[in-house]
Amino acid sequence: MYLLAFVALAVFAYGVARHVRLWCRGRPAARLRPVGPRLAAVVRHVLAHGRLLVDRVAGAYHFAFFWGFVALFAGTTVVFIHQDLRLRIMQGPFYLYFQSATLDVMGLAATAGVAAALVVRYLLRPPRLRRGVPADALILWLFALILVTGFLVEGLRIAGTADPWAAWSPVGYGVALLVRAVGMSEAAVRFSHAWLWWIHFVLAMAFIAYIPFSKLFHLVLAPLNTYLQPLSTPAAVSLIDFERSERFGASAFTDLTWKDLFDLDVCTECGRCTAVCPASTTGKPLSPMHVILDLRDEMTRSGATAPRLLAGAVVRPEALWACTTCLACMQACPVFIEHVPKIVELRRHLVMEQASLPESMADALRSLEVRGHPFRGAALSRAAWAEGVDVRRLAEGERAEWLLWVGCAAALNERNHPALRALLRALAAAGLEVGILGEEETCSGDPARRIGNEYLFQTLARQNIETLARHGVQKIVTLCPHCYNTFRHEYPQLGGTYEVWHHTQLLARLMQEGRLRPGRTAATVTFHDPCYLGRHNGEYEAPRRVLAAVAAGTVEMAQCREHGFCCGAGGGLYWVEERAGQRVSHVRTRQAAATGAEVVATACPFCLLMLEDAAAALESPARPLDVAELVDRALAQGPEMEMAEGS
Amino acid sequence: MGGVCIVATALEGTLARTSLELVGGARALQPLGLEVSAALLGHGPGLTAAASELHRHGVGVVYRCDHPLLSAGQSDAVLAALQPVVARVRPQVLLVAADTVGREVAPRLAARLRAGLATECVQVEAADGAVVARRQVYGGRALATLVVQARPAVLSVKPHALDVPAPAPVDGRVEDVDVSIDAEALPARVRQVLREQAEFGLEEAQVVIGGGRGLGGPEGLGLLRELAQLMGGAVGASRPPTDAGWVPVSWQIGQTGKTIRPALYIAVGISGATQHIAGVSGSRTIVAINRDPEAPIFSVAHLGIVGDYREVVPALIARVKELKGT
Amino acid sequence: MEIIVCLKQVVDPELPARDFAIDPVTQRQVREGRPLVISTYDENALEVGLQLKDRVGGKVTALTLGPAAASGDAIRLALAMGADEAVVVDDPQAPARLGAAKARLLAAAVRRLGHFDLVLCGCESADWVERVVGPLLAEALQAACVTFVSRIEQVNGTLLVRRLADEGFHLVEVRPPAVLSVTSDESNRPRLPKVKDIMTARRKPVHTWPVAEVAPQAGEEGPLEVEVREVALPERTTRCEFLPGDPGEQAAALVQRLRELKLL
Repeated sequence: MYLLAFVALAVFAYGVARHVRLWCRGRPAARLRPVGPRLAAVVRHVLAHGRLLVDRVAGAYHFAFFWGFVALFAGTTVVFIHQDLRLRIMQGPFYLYFQSATLDVMGLAATAGVAAALVVRYLLRPPRLRRGVPADALILWLFALILVTGFLVEGLRIAGTADPWAAWSPVGYGVALLVRAVGMSEAAVRFSHAWLWWIHFVLAMAFIAYIPFSKLFHLVLAPLNTYLQPLSTPAAVSLIDFERSERFGASAFTDLTWKDLFDLDVCTECGRCTAVCPASTTGKPLSPMHVILDLRDEMTRSGATAPRLLAGAVVRPEALWACTTCLACMQACPVFIEHVPKIVELRRHLVMEQASLPESMADALRSLEVRGHPFRGAALSRAAWAEGVDVRRLAEGERAEWLLWVGCAAALNERNHPALRALLRALAAAGLEVGILGEEETCSGDPARRIGNEYLFQTLARQNIETLARHGVQKIVTLCPHCYNTFRHEYPQLGGTYEVWHHTQLLARLMQEGRLRPGRTAATVTFHDPCYLGRHNGEYEAPRRVLAAVAAGTVEMAQCREHGFCCGAGGGLYWVEERAGQRVSHVRTRQAAATGAEVVATACPFCLLMLEDAAAALESPARPLDVAELVDRALAQGPEMEMAEGS
Repeated sequence: MGGVCIVATALEGTLARTSLELVGGARALQPLGLEVSAALLGHGPGLTAAASELHRHGVGVVYRCDHPLLSAGQSDAVLAALQPVVARVRPQVLLVAADTVGREVAPRLAARLRAGLATECVQVEAADGAVVARRQVYGGRALATLVVQARPAVLSVKPHALDVPAPAPVDGRVEDVDVSIDAEALPARVRQVLREQAEFGLEEAQVVIGGGRGLGGPEGLGLLRELAQLMGGAVGASRPPTDAGWVPVSWQIGQTGKTIRPALYIAVGISGATQHIAGVSGSRTIVAINRDPEAPIFSVAHLGIVGDYREVVPALIARVKELKGT
Repeated sequence: MEIIVCLKQVVDPELPARDFAIDPVTQRQVREGRPLVISTYDENALEVGLQLKDRVGGKVTALTLGPAAASGDAIRLALAMGADEAVVVDDPQAPARLGAAKARLLAAAVRRLGHFDLVLCGCESADWVERVVGPLLAEALQAACVTFVSRIEQVNGTLLVRRLADEGFHLVEVRPPAVLSVTSDESNRPRLPKVKDIMTARRKPVHTWPVAEVAPQAGEEGPLEVEVREVALPERTTRCEFLPGDPGEQAAALVQRLRELKLL
């Protein structure tokens, strides 16, 4: 018996060691501190199943067998301590309440959980689950067998020993009654008990040994990965030091961090990421789960020095170029796998080492290089929207407390001009001193970074940091969540730190402080969460607070907040035509229309362009507007009208 | 001695239309009081008829250069043939059509003659004893006026820029020029002429006809293609026709498709979404044909026709055909 | 094969119309504050040269004539795309010069570079569209000349080039040394440089020659200067001109207007 246990543990250890060796080939990443918030996340998402329970059904049965097995494992440990270490702890009330009653109930819960999982897998068959993977089914059956044999062993023991406390183990007692009813002889009971005990033991040991060789590994890794999750920003992109680096982006596993490699082994193939991915669900050639699995399988098969190119041979380029970097996958992942940063790393290799990317994206980048904006063919100049508008112009030597960072998507696309002017009016009404850079503004670099041209990103960012320093800019308010995200999380990597506000945050604050007193517009509004405001920056409330104050009524779409559905433009996909399947923006527009709202509000110039386009194509009744436009209308209704006009 | 000499070509046996346009240019220079002659290049019996056509339009002396190599884009041969003519005529002004050969010959001739040079002119005239030429610059955004005092002056004229003048017959004469060209000595020689033409790439075409949702179906594209062929252009589309599969994906013009910069863009049944406008804003002239007078395309168009393309485009085709026929 | 590619930077031809202005004194486009790009066909010329070098070996030198301060991007891009070295003829006056003067200076620079087999340039510049630099260079260098070339192949010591022609394409046999002007087609889409190429490009040699050092000798052949009297913006209403009438009349009016605009 000990030999068997030892072999199982040895196999387990060997399996773990193999993985650890692979992870160690990754580049460094600091993910161990701070301890406090990380432990809190473990409590919330591992012990309390926070994310798992987003899917109510799957979350519930996982919860049942998770805690069932935790209890049974604890019980087994107790038996080990009692029997093998000869520490007599298994007695008295502890024995009755925990070891007998609780374990029995938990075992039953685990059995029910496994049964539910089997029902889901074989009868309900949700599309997120992979078909034809024998290992997945094998694991469930292994669970079921261990539980069933466990109960049988317990029942036979009770039947064979006439345990006076049998009733404290209701399931085992039931089995015992059944055994008696069948009328097994005592010898037969003894014989089958001994056999079943061994079968149960062998199965349990096999289970332990099998852990590091299967997706069961997540038993160990998922809690660790929950601890290791990114804290400051969910999809940080690493800074490349071009003077020192020889390789740009990831072509081999050794180009990824150890955490990236660790991630690959955590995956339980639950398919939640793919089920929520706007690319997958609209028929594009990307499945975030398969990106992870393809990488994992390659790493398992060929080791960290696998000769095949990760971007291209292992993961298809079409998959990489379909990602909008919206983070829906990462938000859905119950084990905190970081899909998007890996996709960006692979893109980096394609762009910077192979110069291979979709043509229209390349054109956008080329325009960024020479014109400082990605909108080739734009017939507007950067300050055209501000003609006749009273705003300080920093380029002409004026100074202002606040810089309104306009952003190319707003400045160079006429649809966004009313939003810009509305925002400026609102800020002026609140008495803020606001300036713009005008022609001195260039792209923040977000599209370059997401597409994978880090070199271009850094060129643009350094230039902007210099411009901002020249004008002594400290406080920045942006219309665009992409610019907001870049200033907030990415410029500090290059030494540019500012107080950065998204315009909805600033509007919410001004309204809260009573500096802005809008009236109400007549419209019922639903809010489309921009991914770079919501999932990337966790801001779901500010725009909603503003809308609650200025809209006649608000209504939520089925997919909102953390589970919001992308508009289809992020990650450089604004510049790529969606050919396969449906357009993401059309799907989202139908969702907005389904709420019955008259206005679909958003807070991102890219979202607005996408939704406007889709609303026109679908003749949607929900009209897309920026939150600032609604505030502007409400101000025109409200008591502050004179002030707004007068400033 | 002196005068205006046009370089006329009858490469295919008949006088090129562009040669008559040059005669028009020469007439515009009449205030200089110069005699008009022509170097006529080509091969075969067609040259005689071509020469009388020149006489009929007022060209006095025609210097006929007849050689088999003067037939298909042989610039070096044309240069070799022109040298003796120029030596004999010593023209003050040489007019060359800016076609495949003219583009190469005009500057090179100017260099050899130490002449004043103006190329790709769309207008020529005389003022105060000088040759004044106008040409488009900066992608057609501006018109430059050049004054050429130097003599001789070599001007190349953009094909179709000048009108064919009305006949003004003179009693002219033909002088045969002895053309001897050593084919083997030509540094560049046309080996093959591929007449595969017409299928211009969207990005290269100088005329593009774009179709949009307003076409109502793939049938409408036949009309656009016919018009494009007549005008030597290409057909493209906005997003809806590509989405609907009426046209190949490669035809899409716009932010997520191709960017075009033709001299003339005709948008048919295109409403003018920003995403499409981004791809065509570099066009020199934009013509919009749309049923909806409020369509945003009219805000970027220079010329607009409000109407049903099914009626307008056939009328347009008929008109252009008529024009080509003259 | 020794290949020299001429390229230059011009004000972005896609500049919004409201930013386009003519300097009343110089009668040239105002360049200050406007983004500069590489002139439209020059990149295709470079691509054609690089493709030829990739096939037959040799060296590609990028040559630009312009103010050194406004030529850096062209040079950097050329070197990143794969040119082996670059020469900037620093000429603050270059943007105001016409093709004839430019060709004279470029020819002098090419002569200073020494031996060459092929000089490539764009078939026309995005600003003045004179289409003369190629032919004039050929004259000055006493080389063969073909314009509007899209592809080049080397066949037994001579070159077979594809020339865009009025009636289709010509396959022209050229004996080097030659000067070819290049037009675009799908085979010569300029390659995207990789970051590594951009970084190594910084170590490639760039020679800056003051324009005085390449001044052509007196008496050198070439066309005479002409005077630019005026560069005018055509009176153009920004508003759309609607053509009235029934479809027949509208079509007639359109054809009429297109003829006036020299578009038909």
